[in-house]
Amino acid sequence: MELLIASAVGVLTAAGIYMVLRLRTFPVIIGTSLLSYAVNVFLFASGRLAMNAPPVLRDGATRYTDPLPQALVLTAIVISFGMTAVVVIMALGSWLSSDDDLVDRPAVSNGDARSPSMPEGDA
Amino acid sequence: MSHWLIIPVVLPAMLAAILVLMVREHIVVQRALSMAGALALTAVAVGLFWQASDGTITLYQLGNWPAPFGIVLVADRLSTLMVLLTTLLAPLVLLYAMGSGWDARGRHFHPLFQFQLMGILGAFLTGDAFNLFVFFEVLLIASYGLMIHSGGRERLRAGTQYVLYNLLGSTLFLFALGTIYAQTGTLNMADLAGRVAELDASASGGIRVAAVLLLMVFAIKAAVLPLHFWLPDSYAHAPAPVAALFAIMTKVGAYGIIRFYTLVFPPDLEITQGLFDTWLLPAALLTLVLGMIGVLGARRIDRLIAFSVIGSMGLLLSAVSVFTPEGIAAALYYAIHSTFATAALFLLVDEIKDRRGAAGPFLVHGRPIEGGALIAGMFFVAAIAMTGLPPLSGFLGKLLILDAAGASPLVWWVWAVVLSGSLVAVVGFSRAGSLIFWKAHQDGPDGRVDCETAPEIEDETAQPGSTRGPIGPRPVLPMIAIGGLIALLIALTAFAGPVNRVLTATAAQLFAPAPYIELVLTTPGKQIKEDPHAAEGDHGVEGETETSHGDEAVDDTGEDH
Amino acid sequence: MGAKIQRHVWSPPSAFAIVRAMSLFIIVLLPFLGALLPGLMIRAGRQACFTATFLVSALAAVGLLTHLPAVLRGETVSARLDWMPGLGLNVNLFLDPLGFMFAALILGVGLLIIAYARHYLSRDDNMGEFFSYLLLFQGAMVGIVLSDNILLLLIFWELTSLSSFLLIGFWKHLPEGRQGARMALTVTGMGGLALIGGMLMLGQIVGSYDLSVILEQRDVVQASPLYVPALLLILLGCFTKSAQFPFHFWLPHAMAAPTPVSAYLHSATMVKAGLFLMARLWPVLSGTPEWVVIVSSAGLITMVLGAVIALFKHDLKALLAFSTVSHLGLITFLLGTGTAFGAMAAVFHILNHASFKAALFMTAGIVDHEAHTRDMRRLGGLRHLMPISFAIATLAALSMAGIPLLNGFLSKEMMLEEATHTTLFGSPMLVTVVATLGALFSTAYSFRLIAHTFFGPKRDDYPAHPHDPNPGMWLPPALLIIPVVGIGLFPALAEPFVKLVTGAVIGGAAEMPDAHLKIWHGLTLPLAMSAIAVIGGALLLAGFAPLSRIWEAARRPEAKHIFDRLIDLCVGGARRVARGLHDGAFTRYAAIMVLTVVAVGAHAWFSGATGTEIRRPLLPVTPIAVAAWAMLIAAAGFLIAAHRNRLAVLILMGIIGLMVSVGFNHFSAPDLALTQISVEVVTIILLLLALNFLPNRTPVESGAARRTRDAIIAGLGGVAATALTWTILSTEFPIAPISDYHLANSYKGGGGDNVVNVILVDFRGFDTFGEIIVLGIAALVIYALTEALLSGPVRRRLLNRGHEEPQAGDAHPLMMVVLTRVMMPVILMVGVYIFLRGHNSPGGGFVAGLVVAIAVVTQYMASGFAWAARRQRYPYHGIIGAGVLVAGLTGIGAWLAGQPFLTSAFGYFRIPPMEEFELATAMGFDLGVFLAVVGAVMLSLESFSRLGYRAGTETSDHAMDIDPSRGEELAPAVGAGKESN
Repeated sequence: MELLIASAVGVLTAAGIYMVLRLRTFPVIIGTSLLSYAVNVFLFASGRLAMNAPPVLRDGATRYTDPLPQALVLTAIVISFGMTAVVVIMALGSWLSSDDDLVDRPAVSNGDARSPSMPEGDA
Repeated sequence: MSHWLIIPVVLPAMLAAILVLMVREHIVVQRALSMAGALALTAVAVGLFWQASDGTITLYQLGNWPAPFGIVLVADRLSTLMVLLTTLLAPLVLLYAMGSGWDARGRHFHPLFQFQLMGILGAFLTGDAFNLFVFFEVLLIASYGLMIHSGGRERLRAGTQYVLYNLLGSTLFLFALGTIYAQTGTLNMADLAGRVAELDASASGGIRVAAVLLLMVFAIKAAVLPLHFWLPDSYAHAPAPVAALFAIMTKVGAYGIIRFYTLVFPPDLEITQGLFDTWLLPAALLTLVLGMIGVLGARRIDRLIAFSVIGSMGLLLSAVSVFTPEGIAAALYYAIHSTFATAALFLLVDEIKDRRGAAGPFLVHGRPIEGGALIAGMFFVAAIAMTGLPPLSGFLGKLLILDAAGASPLVWWVWAVVLSGSLVAVVGFSRAGSLIFWKAHQDGPDGRVDCETAPEIEDETAQPGSTRGPIGPRPVLPMIAIGGLIALLIALTAFAGPVNRVLTATAAQLFAPAPYIELVLTTPGKQIKEDPHAAEGDHGVEGETETSHGDEAVDDTGEDH
Repeated sequence: MGAKIQRHVWSPPSAFAIVRAMSLFIIVLLPFLGALLPGLMIRAGRQACFTATFLVSALAAVGLLTHLPAVLRGETVSARLDWMPGLGLNVNLFLDPLGFMFAALILGVGLLIIAYARHYLSRDDNMGEFFSYLLLFQGAMVGIVLSDNILLLLIFWELTSLSSFLLIGFWKHLPEGRQGARMALTVTGMGGLALIGGMLMLGQIVGSYDLSVILEQRDVVQASPLYVPALLLILLGCFTKSAQFPFHFWLPHAMAAPTPVSAYLHSATMVKAGLFLMARLWPVLSGTPEWVVIVSSAGLITMVLGAVIALFKHDLKALLAFSTVSHLGLITFLLGTGTAFGAMAAVFHILNHASFKAALFMTAGIVDHEAHTRDMRRLGGLRHLMPISFAIATLAALSMAGIPLLNGFLSKEMMLEEATHTTLFGSPMLVTVVATLGALFSTAYSFRLIAHTFFGPKRDDYPAHPHDPNPGMWLPPALLIIPVVGIGLFPALAEPFVKLVTGAVIGGAAEMPDAHLKIWHGLTLPLAMSAIAVIGGALLLAGFAPLSRIWEAARRPEAKHIFDRLIDLCVGGARRVARGLHDGAFTRYAAIMVLTVVAVGAHAWFSGATGTEIRRPLLPVTPIAVAAWAMLIAAAGFLIAAHRNRLAVLILMGIIGLMVSVGFNHFSAPDLALTQISVEVVTIILLLLALNFLPNRTPVESGAARRTRDAIIAGLGGVAATALTWTILSTEFPIAPISDYHLANSYKGGGGDNVVNVILVDFRGFDTFGEIIVLGIAALVIYALTEALLSGPVRRRLLNRGHEEPQAGDAHPLMMVVLTRVMMPVILMVGVYIFLRGHNSPGGGFVAGLVVAIAVVTQYMASGFAWAARRQRYPYHGIIGAGVLVAGLTGIGAWLAGQPFLTSAFGYFRIPPMEEFELATAMGFDLGVFLAVVGAVMLSLESFSRLGYRAGTETSDHAMDIDPSRGEELAPAVGAGKESN
């Protein structure tokens, strides 16, 4: 069972990374959310696994899934949701304001492709 | 029960909420409240700093839960120092934002600014690893908003990359935290320190991974090679006041490294030997080299400054990674210095951009700067500070670092890189400066930029043709803000002695963490009253939690009710 | 380290000395403070500006003179002030004869220069700026020679570089000025940095940064292994500053500066700083073979080289510049010999050179000023036109040539004397010959200066009509001629002072030579050598024309070009590197990041010890788990395969999210499952809205190679993640986790059975506080950006963008509308229910918020933005703000109870006939969460739809397109697809 979880995390991570390395913003965003799935499961797993344990305090229940990682994952989920929303709108914005949704910035925009007279062209 | 410690977090949060809820349409009110809030924060920060200045460590248990079970804020010398640094920077940056009208060029500048402050201050104060993550996210997402404030094509593209890169960073942070929890079963820093020390050295693999993953997270924030790639574009394209505020953000990463690798993973910890103590210093030196290369090669003044930030982080971290009290003290002094210097330079660059018309930030022959004398003078001073030339704090910081490097086996490398690095910086800055401020006076063909290649971010307030000095039609507030930062630099230089004493004490406190740990872990929290419901069975778990293990710890907890 | 040693080598500061010592600070400070004056006074006119500047220097000079008696008594005045004792950097000043001589030179010559500049600067030069820089430099220079602390000395040292940078570049419009300034800054700056290294080493050797301590430690220093590196670095600093070979090239280019600057910085003072330092550290550093070889040979080479080049320069200032280089070489050589006599000769020549060279520079400036040219090929015959200048120049030049009865002669004799006793590289003759050669050339250029400027026929093609200037300009040089002649005639006058200073130089390191300053030593070898020099010089001049032609013809390496090439190469390289690395290729950045993390993590893992962890019993594999796992893997695989079809990707994402939440549920984490699934829904809606603007397909761009690369990187990441997860899952907590406490105290302390929820709103409520703020910020950011976009150029693009695919016939289908209307209250009820039960069973504010948000969203979907927006009463901003406020205030409420932020309280109440229920303040907090979530989600979704809405696509105002109550009018469905994806 543990192996299933471990491999699932691995697969999600790999898929996420692969998507993150694509050239367009949309797949990259997908990649990041895949990664957040992966990390959420991982975080959950950091409390070790338990099956058929009561979700809330029960009498005589002897085994619970470690609640702390669950709380952490909840927080993480919410945060990553917010992040995704923001990055989506930003990607949208840059797509709308410049005609492509490439994630790599053309070198032109960092002023390097321009060839101004060498600062000391005044020899 | 004094609540001062929580103010730096709650005040900006509440203020921002009010700004959004009530006055989001009235820029003037927003400005007034925002500035008032920032100044109040400064006052509180001074108070906290003074309180900690005699070595007292203050603890604040949120929800009155005892550590490590609840979240705590801890104010020791280091935290209060960083808080003070932030709150000294904030009002000046805010002043500039108002004076230059940046805050009115988009929505929600002030709420985002306050949230950003909350995030930074919280990150400095919290004593809980996961809570640190939350505050990182708060300051990051606020920084996303500020970064793309007022939009613009270039800024959006750069911003998207900045966000995506940091999303990866956050994911990494969670992996790190998960590993840490899995290995130690706790999240509280002080508790971590204790538990990590107890760990069995023969099963060190997991905790070692946790340690380096966490280090990577902070390295990203601190822009350490090769995790620095997010910095140049985002800083160069961020609105000036935001870039100036970002000056503190790289320091958050540095703070994380200093905090965790003196408290939780101290240098003498056997279980993490041969890790960061091996390659952090070389990485930092490479970062410094790369920063200087960028300074020399930059074709835009704003990118030049951005790269000088990378360089300064490299210098700072090479002092940190010696992991001696002297090293940390030197690093802290340099951190204070570079924060102010960077901020001043970014603000100056904004003024210069505005005044150069089409040439904008490009290092080409542009038109003379209006009111050049004042700006040129301030740029000269700030550049001296940044390049670490005498007599300003940059030089003193550099001396401290060179002096502290003596403890490292790589001392000669440090000296060679640092010294030759500042030479490169001098060349780079003097080229840029003489080009912007001097060559403009040369008659003859000026290779000025044709407007469509000049990015649109420039020239939002530039009034081409007006040749009056800054005291003329231009707002004077920006100048005051920059002047304030430079004044801080000079003060830091003049009072280097006392400051250095304080920092030495700070470093000493970091290297003797016992009181910190003891205070955090032994302060009792809320009394669990007997079952509030009926008095069936006792839930006396005190003491049991320490001994018992996950599975049986709770056998008696679930009563029916 | 240092500064603890307060014990003083020289006199213990008596109260009397303290009074004096105070004024040492003032002497150093005066010029710095004074530097502010000219800038202000210039508003009151040039004369006022000049007077202010002059008075400042004069005051400093007087302050210095008050110490003369003490200095003559051989006392050392000192002043100490702690600055950074922790570092050993303190403001310790001391004044001994050596320092006094230099300080006197700096201030004295400074006064003359200021007076001269007053008339030299033209009206359109900014005199205030000029004098400010000049005073700045003066202060720095005085600081150097008075510093007792070598770190302090370093500071002043670099300050001189900076101020000279400003002074050389004073004429901003001249490219030569700018380049010369930068070259000077670069070269001297480099030296300065090397010097920092050297001084730090020196300090590390001695354990103190105080000169007064260091100077005592000759043996310690010279025995140390650090001696040679320290020596090399320090000499690098001195040589660059004093333009010694091979760093001589910057000085001539610094001559682009206004003449007063050249005269002051580049002949009298700054270039002597290097000599000063060598003299200052003479007692500790000198005498070793390394010292002798390096210093004296560098000096000799410089002396000859400078003299030769000087002879063939046609520009008066260039000639003087190289002659300066040559004379500095001479002095360096003298110091380099390491003998007391050499030191004495050096001291003497420093004095003499300062006097005649400054005079020469000023006369050159006069000629330039009057004739409007400094080119000797265009000059000549000026002796009748400018008799006074002629007299001054001739005397000074003859002194420089070393003609008897002038001070230059005396020190040059001593130099030659010393040369005859010096052996370099095993040959005793070498030095003698080279020295004579140098002397010969220096006579030659001195003669040429006189001959080609003043003698010869009067010409009629001077650019301007030359005549003697007003006294203001010729008096300063004239004053300098007095010592030239005076000392030349009566050397004995200077002897006591020279010996005093020499004593200070050699310190305890050597015996004071018994030699005396005399004109006539008898027929000695040196006399013969200078005779040869004079005759040879005259001959050279006679045959100048052919020689000059040869010289011009000869190919010589031009230092400036080499320097510029070097800098450009560096800049180019730097540019390529910086640009190549940071070309905005995010994908590469990400790849590097992944690889770095994996590599470092792997290193940490494999370098650690493993295997002794407590193993954990593995859980049995259940079929449902396998099924879910298979689906998840499959979905992920399809996603990668079909990731170019973006809609498909969204569907697959949905499946993955579903599987994850199923997994959470399977492992007894219903809260997670609930949250995961609801977040999933909202995220998908969000992405759909976005996709409505973005292209629907991802084009094929990356080639196979690139994809394999990415696949490998991704694979590595995946393997690492798997390994890490497996390690964790298969091993036991080494130490019991803190969550035991949470389980144990959730009910009693937090008043809730749902431990997760109690942790969220109570134990770790602070996290949740931050979390909802993150959510709120996200919404604000989205809103702000939407605003920016809609007000920017984007709006136009939105207006005239076509639709990729055909729109649905009825965008607001009847069925859907009806359904959502009916569902709305139900979903709201569910939301409230989930909220209320949150504390004791799975649920809580966050999930409830999402559910309600979804309910509202469905309205948007069904009936379009316009319709829904009109029926939405509260602005989402407000809801977010309220949420954060409520949450915050609940937390602050605890303060009233004297409890920390977020302290919760709860109680059980019973209102018959209802059965007992619980109220916890944490619920207030949860309410805040609820509000913030609703507000945030709605605000973001709304912003997205506004992009489409504002884009001008008309949307139906009616709830549904086909409405029985209305006639058969079909609402235009164009683009309504915006809202109803």
